Amino acid sequence: MRRLTAILTATAVAASLAACAVPHRRDDGSAIDKPAATRAQVTAVYERYREVRNAAAELLDPKPLSTVETGPVLAIDTGAFEVSQKLDQAGQEDSGPIDVTQVETPRFRAYPLWMFAVVRDTERKVNRLQVFERATSVDPWLLVATPEALTSTVLPDLRHDGSGHAVTVKPDDGRGMALSAQEAADGYAKTLADPDADVAGPITDDAFVRQMREVAQANSSLDGVQFEQSWAAEKVRYVLRTADGGALAFITLLRSDRYTVDQDRKVTWPDGSPQQALLEDGIQAGSGTLNYYHQILVSLPGGSAKPRALAQYGGVVQGQVG
Amino acid sequence: MRRISGWALVVLGVLSALLGLALAVALGPDSRRTTGPHEIDTRTSVLVTGPRVIRWADVQVDVLVEVPVKKPIFVGLGHTVDVEDLVDDVDHVEVTRFRTPWNVSLSEREGERPTVQGAPTALDWWIADSAGLGGASISTTLPDEPVSLAVVSIGSSNLSGLEVTLAYGVKGGFAKGIGLLLLGVGLVLGGRLVVRGALLRDVEPGPDPGAPSDEEITYVFVDDDGVEHHLTEAEVAEGGFDVVDEMQIDEAGDGSAPEPVRPTDPEPGPEHEQEPEPEPGPGLEDGLDVGPEAGPDPQSEPEPEPEPEPEPEPEPEPEPEPEPALYVWVDDDGVEHELTEADLAELEGEYEIVDEDDTGDKGPQG
Repeated sequence: MRRLTAILTATAVAASLAACAVPHRRDDGSAIDKPAATRAQVTAVYERYREVRNAAAELLDPKPLSTVETGPVLAIDTGAFEVSQKLDQAGQEDSGPIDVTQVETPRFRAYPLWMFAVVRDTERKVNRLQVFERATSVDPWLLVATPEALTSTVLPDLRHDGSGHAVTVKPDDGRGMALSAQEAADGYAKTLADPDADVAGPITDDAFVRQMREVAQANSSLDGVQFEQSWAAEKVRYVLRTADGGALAFITLLRSDRYTVDQDRKVTWPDGSPQQALLEDGIQAGSGTLNYYHQILVSLPGGSAKPRALAQYGGVVQGQVG
Repeated sequence: MRRISGWALVVLGVLSALLGLALAVALGPDSRRTTGPHEIDTRTSVLVTGPRVIRWADVQVDVLVEVPVKKPIFVGLGHTVDVEDLVDDVDHVEVTRFRTPWNVSLSEREGERPTVQGAPTALDWWIADSAGLGGASISTTLPDEPVSLAVVSIGSSNLSGLEVTLAYGVKGGFAKGIGLLLLGVGLVLGGRLVVRGALLRDVEPGPDPGAPSDEEITYVFVDDDGVEHHLTEAEVAEGGFDVVDEMQIDEAGDGSAPEPVRPTDPEPGPEHEQEPEPEPGPGLEDGLDVGPEAGPDPQSEPEPEPEPEPEPEPEPEPEPEPEPALYVWVDDDGVEHELTEADLAELEGEYEIVDEDDTGDKGPQG
């Protein structure tokens, strides 16, 4: 019995020692990289984002948003807040529970770092497909893209590396796909800028393209108004590899609508609309411009299939007369 | 096989004990080795260790950085990707090589900025960090990922006069060393027991039916009344029995019933009968004295007590009779007198048994 006790004690000691972390040399391999964020950091980022956004909504002041958003998202949301200010509308607080259904944190060898998350908005029945970026090690995490898709929209499966992190694709890398992400962005801008663009071109006639063309057609049908629309694609920065060898690309498009109104005409927008808030007096006997940002999530299938927009988010960001 | 396993345990135990001893001696009671302070000659505001300079993981490190005249200073440990971005384009000194206890190679890295952007204390990605006036220190365990150490002079000052004290070790290393030492000793002792063949028998007391080499020996003693008593090997060894016949029974063979072993005939010596054991051991059956039951370790059995002198044997009764009845006579004064059955016989007729209870007491008839 004593021997058995001794054996059990020795086994327990050995197990305890084995459980201890033993100092060892690492093999860092050829490249040093790191995941964009840990799960705890993602949670902290979202909590901070919601806190600041709610504070801004409560104050109807877009200024705090600059600490959690940047780029086109900040421009779109700032425009929306300014419209709310002018219309004296209460901001929409996001007080519901955060339902982050998917988080992807790719590995990076250098800054900027970025991560992708899917957040379910149960009230509006949409999924926000968001990208947060940390531009440098001294910058905070900022929301840089947030296209929205219906909850019924199925996203393609993403490819992960051996450590379970999503794999990124260079924006100009079109191997295995009909177009690279940057080529797709440029193709969307070109297709939307030309109403007579060939349907057999590189971009398919998807829901986003049809919606934008309908808007352009309606604006150009105004009597006594010359309507011009231009589109430009920004540099693509966020692309993820899908399991089928394709990619998911976050594309930002800048749209500019220019109205030239005859002497005896005046163009106005409905009360409560963002355009009316930005151009209160409308455009009369002259010209005016409204600028919009549109963020779309484009699926680039593996193989030769055409890109297709799965989600979008946009709004007017600027209005000027003259 | 047991012998080989036993020796393997012994060797493993010796190695474990030596390793534990070396660990405990090398690290000391505080579980670490300390070096410094070492002066680093630089006029820059930032000092970092380069990529792959810190290549160990799960090592407990303590870093103390000191600068004169209470200049504000910061020290932090972060992921190499973060630290490299922090000092990108910053004029700084990089530690390109480090060997214990203190052998460093430094390299000047030129940059456009004299120091890092913003306050390093405001960054959230440090694994460990500290700031202070004239000195700062961190104590952490190196994670299993690429990390770099950064020393930053806060504000407009630089790192002139910088001194670094470094301690490294294993968290709880001394205790772990002692633990390894004890484990090694245990393994040596255990291996020794295995070599002696006693260990496995204690751990697995039952016979292994799948092991054909195991042989079960059964001793049977038949007493004068023809009753069989099964004895253990130890009981036979200590009981002074002689094995008069041996029989091998093939249990796995043809299915025939094993024949009973011919009873052994004990030959108790005369002194065995006359000298009672000081403490008769358990397991006595039908008056058969086989001595104390053998313990697990025969070597640890105490020396036998000196045997007491034999008591003079009383004259044997011709015929052992049952215990004599006791009669009680109560005289007129109420005093009880005990009478034996012989007394009663001599005085037959003078007494009459008037009462008889369970105790068998009989009283005279007055």
